Amino acid sequence: MAGVTLNGLYKRYGSTSVLEGIDLDVEDGEYIVLVGPSGCGKSTLLRCIAGLEEITAGTLEIGGRRVNDLSPRARNVAMVFQSYALYPHMTVRRNMGFALEVARRPKAEIREAVEDVAAMLDLVPLLDRLPGQLSGGQRQRVAMGRAIVRRPDVFLFDEPLSNLDASLRHHMRVELKHLHRRLQTTVFHVTHDQVEALTLADRIVVLHQGVVQQVGTPRELFDRPANTFVGTFIGSPSMALLPAVGAGGTVRIDGLEGELELPGEGAMTLGLRPTDIEVGRGPLRGQIEVIESLGAEALLHLDLGPDRKLVAQVPEPCQAQPGEVVSLLPRVVHRFHAETGERLP
Amino acid sequence: MKARRALQALLLCGVVVACLLAPTWAHAADLTVWHAYRGAEEAALREAVDRFAEGRGHRVRLVSVSFGVYDSKLETAIPRGNGPDLFIAAQGNLGKWRRMGLLVPAGDVSGEHRDPAIEALTEGGELWGQPLAFKSLMLIYDPEVIDTPPRTTDELLALSAALTEDGRYGLVYEAGTPFYHAPWMHGFGGAAIDEMGEPTLDTRAQVDALTFAAELAALMPTAPSADRVSSLYTEGRAAMIIDGPWRVADLGRRVAAAPLPLVSPTGEPARPYLTVEAAFVAARGQDPEAAAELASFLSGVDGAQIRQEVGRQAVTASRVVPSDPILQVQLDQAARSEPLPTDPEVQSAWEGLARALRQVLRGTVLPDRAMAAAQQHATVLRRPPPPPANPWPYGIVLALLALAGLGALGYRLRDPDLRRRMLVHAPDYLWIAPAGLAMVVLVVVPFLTGAAVALFAHHQGEWSFVGLAHFIDILLARDWPITSPMSFGFTLVVTVLWTVSNVTLHVVIGVALAMLLREPWVGLRGVWRALLILPWAVPNYITALIWRSLFDAQVGAINAILGLLLLRGEALQIDWFSSFATGFAANLTTNTWLGFPFMMVVTLGALQSIPRDLEEAAEVDGAGAWQRFRHVTWPMLMPALLPAMILGSVWTFNMFNVIYLVSAGEPDGSTEILISEAYRWAFSRGNRYGYAAAYAVLIFLVLLFYSRLANRLAGRKVL
Repeated sequence: MAGVTLNGLYKRYGSTSVLEGIDLDVEDGEYIVLVGPSGCGKSTLLRCIAGLEEITAGTLEIGGRRVNDLSPRARNVAMVFQSYALYPHMTVRRNMGFALEVARRPKAEIREAVEDVAAMLDLVPLLDRLPGQLSGGQRQRVAMGRAIVRRPDVFLFDEPLSNLDASLRHHMRVELKHLHRRLQTTVFHVTHDQVEALTLADRIVVLHQGVVQQVGTPRELFDRPANTFVGTFIGSPSMALLPAVGAGGTVRIDGLEGELELPGEGAMTLGLRPTDIEVGRGPLRGQIEVIESLGAEALLHLDLGPDRKLVAQVPEPCQAQPGEVVSLLPRVVHRFHAETGERLP
Repeated sequence: MKARRALQALLLCGVVVACLLAPTWAHAADLTVWHAYRGAEEAALREAVDRFAEGRGHRVRLVSVSFGVYDSKLETAIPRGNGPDLFIAAQGNLGKWRRMGLLVPAGDVSGEHRDPAIEALTEGGELWGQPLAFKSLMLIYDPEVIDTPPRTTDELLALSAALTEDGRYGLVYEAGTPFYHAPWMHGFGGAAIDEMGEPTLDTRAQVDALTFAAELAALMPTAPSADRVSSLYTEGRAAMIIDGPWRVADLGRRVAAAPLPLVSPTGEPARPYLTVEAAFVAARGQDPEAAAELASFLSGVDGAQIRQEVGRQAVTASRVVPSDPILQVQLDQAARSEPLPTDPEVQSAWEGLARALRQVLRGTVLPDRAMAAAQQHATVLRRPPPPPANPWPYGIVLALLALAGLGALGYRLRDPDLRRRMLVHAPDYLWIAPAGLAMVVLVVVPFLTGAAVALFAHHQGEWSFVGLAHFIDILLARDWPITSPMSFGFTLVVTVLWTVSNVTLHVVIGVALAMLLREPWVGLRGVWRALLILPWAVPNYITALIWRSLFDAQVGAINAILGLLLLRGEALQIDWFSSFATGFAANLTTNTWLGFPFMMVVTLGALQSIPRDLEEAAEVDGAGAWQRFRHVTWPMLMPALLPAMILGSVWTFNMFNVIYLVSAGEPDGSTEILISEAYRWAFSRGNRYGYAAAYAVLIFLVLLFYSRLANRLAGRKVL
């Protein structure tokens, strides 16, 4: 087990830059989730750590040792691929023991290690099957098992749950959390699913266009997003961004009536989360366009004025009707710089 | 509507038939003459024929037929009535053609031609062709180097030795070919067969002749080919060669000629085989009388004059005076020569003699041992076919089998459900009927015919039913010990070795190149891929011929390159076809060149279907390049490669072209494989078609067993 340090890490393919100076310090045993939209470089970063991609510039240390130029096998990391990449011609047992087999460990040791992990993951009855004879969830567990058997310093998970259906995904999420608590191994987990990120991570790294936007605990990211990108990316349904102007302790949203009591002067962008809006009172008024009922709560899609839309989350049962005009009170407002999108103090 | 269709179909048939018959109608009134002449001889023939046509008002059509297929075309066309009226050929096959009824006797022309010509064309007391020209070997020498040609073999040896030094040779000739050895054989008092057609290869005279040939060969480059002989003379590096008048035009230098010398120990002249070219009137021609007239004209004084002047032929007509000294020498040589035997049995002596010659020239066997083996070889080949067998037991077994088949069919047809389904699907059966018919005609019928031929023996044009005798002879190695290259067992072992080593190399190289082509650092991938597939795209006999010349002992590129690589400063002198290992290696190299692209293409395709993830997973799992290949890539390639390997083995097992064209079985038939042995039995060992067919059936059984076994080993059906 080991901590991981990334220092000014760059990855370029010819003139295309994929990672632009990533700095990250990961403690031993931390669960790090890398999130970002498609093409943000999160999978590339994971592959750089695994050694499947060469690092263009910067340093990568695992356990205090510079590993830039080491082959994957010398880094002692284990990876779970999105496709699971199980060897189709080998039994589950051989798949799981393969890393130990190529390391020429004694047969008895391999057997014991595989069976221990299989017991941990409920895979014992499947050990002599081929991957083609397993369901998606079982394959996912085998892929996990194959990574665990090696007792690596770092686990690398590349969208490990994205090929599972919703209920299984939820189940595996919990199981992953469980496993991490037991094994206490450093994890890098790539996902585009923010729920996965928020539930699993000790810290989340948000990547956008090869640049780290924010690193922090799920709470920090949710409560104090560093910029509009993180603000809108984390939280579902996402934060609404509205242009506004502040003067003398009040802020007015462009094109709307009603003022909010907020500090700040001049143009800025306001970020409003659906969960932070109280309906029925307040300075803002909006017309309900659509009501989405989610069971325990409902989402009101509100039209505040031309080009000014907002979603508010209210508890069910909800008495409002579409077409009704309601008053709105934002309990929490995030303020961002109008041009750079950075969070204002 | 239907009537109109039928009418159209009828019209179409009419047109097709008319097209097929058109050539016959168009030339019904002409005389057709077949020949295989080229260059000056062809021009002379044309001129002579034109002169004849002017005088008689006949139209004559000259058809030039390629030399390689000349005899077989004659033998198939004439009996079917598609042959020429007249054809020009040497007398070598006279006996066979007469027996096949291809010829019309020529009438009496004695007195008009020199004796050897009449002698060579007379069989059974009748003359069978109008003689045209003599052709035989003679001594050709460089008049700038030699004033007086040697008159005896002692003088020849001494002169040859005196003129042979650093890269120059006194005498060069195709010493490894029986035709070129024949002058010595006859001069020492030997003959290939006696009057009864029995081989006479182990006589004292034969051994002496061979010993003498070895002495001459010691002063020559190893086993020179015809081209090598010509080029050495042209380059001024050979003072004397033994060759025919047909070679003179290629030499490109001044030449003088002399009859071959007297053999010193016997005092007899060295007598080469004499070929007499003649105009033969074909049986079943359109107008035999006109054809005979044309033959007399070509053969007579007027025709002979043209052929001598334009075609530079040594004509047989006794009243024509030779126009230059070389033609005179050819005529003198004709007077001291042996007519090429017309007995088909002589074929049985050639193979053994050729092997003995090459063994002795190579220095691997002593002359007496070699000739004893040659005699043994020829005797076995001449052995009469197995005694006729009683066909009844075979007929009864066949009838019982047919009955059993019909019974089984009838039993199955009793099932009413099956009958009903067959009725329902009747139109479907019609749909597949054309394909079924094609299969029957193209596969089943030839196969059954081949298998049936194996039960018959063919000997000098006659067939007899011998049952399973051929199979018994072959499998029990009745004629040769199992360790002889002529035995089935030996050849089978060589064939298996050949197949296994080829397929192994094809797969190793093909897979390695396919893996290499996938590496990210390889640029111009498309170009490489196209280049590497190229060997496969070239017809394999062309490739085989190219490799054959690359492996040539004297002028081949392989020896030159090896010389460079080993820093010898000059080409190596490895005679690749002098030992089994090197001959086999040359064949193997050629066929590997031909075979790896197929495996490469199959692998490239199969690699596409292996997700990159898997190899990356193995890489992260700590597997090195070899382990990744061994444990991940290779097992995943197998489903695609296994059928390709089975297919490749079958192709290689029957890869006739490479064996026939590269090593041609050298040395001593040891590098032959089963299919090329079958060919030799059918076509160069007295047309033993039945024996050859038995080989073919055995090959089929071996391959059938192999493919079943391969399926079993693969654990499922792949083919």
